[in-house]
Amino acid sequence: MITDNLRLVVIIFILFLLIVYLLRKRKLSTKYAIVWFLAIIVMLFTVLLPDVMKYIANLIGFELLSNMLLCIFIVILLFITLALTIVVSSNKRRITLLIEEVSILKKELEDKK
Amino acid sequence: MKKSKILLIIPAYNEEANILKTCQKIIDFNQTHKINYDFIVINDGSLDNTKKILEENKLPHINLIHNLGIGGAVQTGYKYALKNDYDIAVQFDGDGQHDVTYVEKLIKPIINKEADFTIGSRFIENISEFKTSFMRRVGIKIITFFIKIACGFKLKDTTSGFRAANKKIINEFANYYPSEYPEPISTVLVVKKGFKVQEIGVNMYERDGGSSSIHSWKNFYYMINVCLSILIAGTRRSK
Repeated sequence: MITDNLRLVVIIFILFLLIVYLLRKRKLSTKYAIVWFLAIIVMLFTVLLPDVMKYIANLIGFELLSNMLLCIFIVILLFITLALTIVVSSNKRRITLLIEEVSILKKELEDKK
Repeated sequence: MKKSKILLIIPAYNEEANILKTCQKIIDFNQTHKINYDFIVINDGSLDNTKKILEENKLPHINLIHNLGIGGAVQTGYKYALKNDYDIAVQFDGDGQHDVTYVEKLIKPIINKEADFTIGSRFIENISEFKTSFMRRVGIKIITFFIKIACGFKLKDTTSGFRAANKKIINEFANYYPSEYPEPISTVLVVKKGFKVQEIGVNMYERDGGSSSIHSWKNFYYMINVCLSILIAGTRRSK
């Protein structure tokens, strides 16, 4: 039992290190890292204090702890997806404006030649 | 009265078959009628010889450095019109659908200050020889209905890309022009902002080359998206 838990903790710790690594390499912005840290905390709690989590799950109305976890992670993933589609949309807008402005400038430059 | 500076914005994507004819018609029209419609072709990252044709014939044009779609191409034209201080900008298709002799009729209400924005329509006054399929007419009717709900304006030719804008509208569109379903959405936004919009009967030809930007198999998806976008545009607060 203890070794099983230890294995899970190691996996979670590796995920934590991965997020920190991506942050340090500036491949991930802090804004999105926070959601991942939240997910890591939930995972840690589940592994280390399963009884407490079970108690919370029952309190909210979940019969099984696994159902609550599934629910939490779906909500987290939905949130991340929404955040990503917002970013993609605003980036598309910005790229469009850049292409327009650069193309006009290019024309003006060529006209002057 | 000072003569208005007029610019025709011609978006073109893979129009090698039509673009030269379209521009030549405008040049000929200018010569025979002693007027001066400037024009600028916006080459929207065409993959065919459109760019080569524009350069060889020294037609005024802007090459977008990447394909943007009709919305981005037209907005580039409006930005160019704003930068070069044009009084009126006219959107004019590069595929030979639009008839340059109707530009005068289209811009007349703007010159007379009766309208800020005019839309050339196939469906009023019965001038146009353009035939549309039954399904397409149904689609257009539905979009008409949604535009009416969104902003109260009854627009009959919802997908017309033959439109004229005064300086205020040029300014608006240079700042923001919708990139998806630009024709109906931009009309709703303009009406919502309290500008005067008029629909003018014009002639349109059948397309004689290239392919329409609306694909038949995508129609259902297109309709849902357009109607949703119109309703969202309709919820924007008017000034």
